[in-house]
Amino acid sequence: MTSLQRTDILSLIHLRSDGRRPNEIRHMTCHLGALPPTTDCGSALPSSACSGSAMVTMGLTQVLCIVRGPCDVGRRTEELPDRATLEVTMRTAPFAPPGDRRSTNPTSDRRLIEQSHLLQKALSASILLHLYPKSKISVTVMVLADDGGRLEAAINACTLALIDAGIPLKDMVCACSAGRWNAGGSDEIVVDLNRREIQAATGGASGGGGGNNSGGGGGTSDTIYLPVATMPQRGTVVLSQCESRLSGGAEAFGEVLECARAGCEMVMEVMAAAVRERGAGLWKAREGKATVVLDDW
Amino acid sequence: MAADSLHHHFVLPGQVLATSMSESEGGFLRGHGTYIELVPDESTDHNDDDMCDTKQQGGMAGTSKKKRSGWGTETKSTVMQMDDGNEAEKQDENDEPSDFQRGPQRLIASVAGTVERVNKLISVIPLSPSIYTGQVGDLIVGRIVGVGGSRWKVSLTCSPPTASASNGSMKEGQLPLSGVNLPGGVQRIRTSEDVLAMRNLFREGDLLTCEVQQVQKDGNLILHTRSLRYGKLDNGVLVTVPPSLVGRRKNHFVTLKGLTSQNSDAMDTEEGGEGDVDVYLGLNGGIWIQRTIPSEWENAIRADQDERAPLAETLQKLRHRHSTTRVSPSMRESIARVRNSVECLRLVHCQITPDSIEIVARASVDQGVRVADMLLPEMVIKLTEGTRR
Repeated sequence: MTSLQRTDILSLIHLRSDGRRPNEIRHMTCHLGALPPTTDCGSALPSSACSGSAMVTMGLTQVLCIVRGPCDVGRRTEELPDRATLEVTMRTAPFAPPGDRRSTNPTSDRRLIEQSHLLQKALSASILLHLYPKSKISVTVMVLADDGGRLEAAINACTLALIDAGIPLKDMVCACSAGRWNAGGSDEIVVDLNRREIQAATGGASGGGGGNNSGGGGGTSDTIYLPVATMPQRGTVVLSQCESRLSGGAEAFGEVLECARAGCEMVMEVMAAAVRERGAGLWKAREGKATVVLDDW
Repeated sequence: MAADSLHHHFVLPGQVLATSMSESEGGFLRGHGTYIELVPDESTDHNDDDMCDTKQQGGMAGTSKKKRSGWGTETKSTVMQMDDGNEAEKQDENDEPSDFQRGPQRLIASVAGTVERVNKLISVIPLSPSIYTGQVGDLIVGRIVGVGGSRWKVSLTCSPPTASASNGSMKEGQLPLSGVNLPGGVQRIRTSEDVLAMRNLFREGDLLTCEVQQVQKDGNLILHTRSLRYGKLDNGVLVTVPPSLVGRRKNHFVTLKGLTSQNSDAMDTEEGGEGDVDVYLGLNGGIWIQRTIPSEWENAIRADQDERAPLAETLQKLRHRHSTTRVSPSMRESIARVRNSVECLRLVHCQITPDSIEIVARASVDQGVRVADMLLPEMVIKLTEGTRR
């Protein structure tokens, strides 16, 4: 019974399992100001002190980011005399499907801790922290749904939330992933991988950007999954994380990196459009023009 | 004109606004929301550097590695670490680093917003500056969140003390003991007894109006209540709005007159007020609404006391009477109406001025909208129609 599966048909016509071309990113939507900023004193929600927020959807991955601050540092020991402390917390919503692995404790998951650390590094490359000495900017990322690439979505959401909060940034940080694997003999590079593709690219054993790429990894030549964050307007890379074994050497890696950077450019366009749309709406409302921006509903 | 063409431009963080060649004329001055950076020698060269970096590390082909290529070069390279905004003029005074004058430099936006240009000074007005940066003389409506060390801590977001302790309000202001008037209006050196009695003046959770006396170098605010207008707030309503919606104006204490609807009898005038409402527009986004203290009260108190009694005493008695007298139902309604008008304006991101509040409140009275219905979405749009012309 040799039956062609849907995925086989797609790969025959050079489309990916979700119908995209290799160089297409997933459908991406951005919503700035997803939560109302600094609301009533009466509200008991801890989010009442939020100064900016954004929701980013990349394919089936959905991430909400909330920025608070700059505010006083709680503990004196965390205070820096010349710049602000940047505190990043990343967690998954309890109702989110257990993304890349079997369900773990969302607060002590080491992959989350690692990713929030990466996020912190990527963002501190862009935020002008020295403008707010002795204070704290805290960024909370909530992963609402994870279909691969939650780190990239989180970085994009953080950038937008920081813009929404009006915190000065050196540049917009945009993130996108790229990968390559041997799909039925043909060796192709794709951008913005979803979970299924990540699993294919990292050897399947454990998805979500790698984990131990067991001994067999060396045999399947170059399978790479590479999340990259760049500042597209100045062309610098602020984050690139590769956990797979490379035998093809530098050229192979360079190709994938270039591909990811192209993906970041596309992400940048979507994000810029979202910011402009938000700005235009607010501007018109303030100028007293016809458009009405009603936030809270 | 070039300035005009730049005027209504919306820019994103990281967008280059201007480039100037070396130290020649025709440069720019850095305003709010921007920063200056030296133009990298050859951008292509710069990129190649990145690639080299990545290739080296990529070539190592380790089992598991993480890296941030290009970032290292970024931080150690050219970015001028300069203070944003407030100290734009400081740039002139300081002896600038020598490489600052070398080579072309460019001005880059650091926030998303519209470009504003005054001659050479280029600044970006952020679209929603939810961060309040104080200036001397600003009116603040804040909440006490801590007492100790001969000073009060004042939360500028008016968030309740419990919440601010855990998740952090915006920067807090400091109200030193020397910045308040002692009861009775006496002027003297503050003693340790005064420190112990600080909670008699303000305790945690109290709302107060105060003024910014001094902005410290790191942006901390020192407040004072040394005027008779400032002090504790009682018997009214607080609304918080994004600070960007409250502009600086001549007078932040405004009185809205005659907002009672015609049909509701203004008969119960036992407290004299004809439905006048006082609004204090705090620049930090706190807006306080209370009844206007009727002039009869003041006359009564004046009649009671000695001719030469100080004004402070009179005002203190007035304040006491205000805080202990019940607010009549009709007055409550007009206060609630003003409160909901402010809320309407907040929801449509409209500037909150005495005029705009009055337009909305008046519209709601004219259209016979119940106070409770004012915040229905379609009503919000209808009522704020007047502010959009």
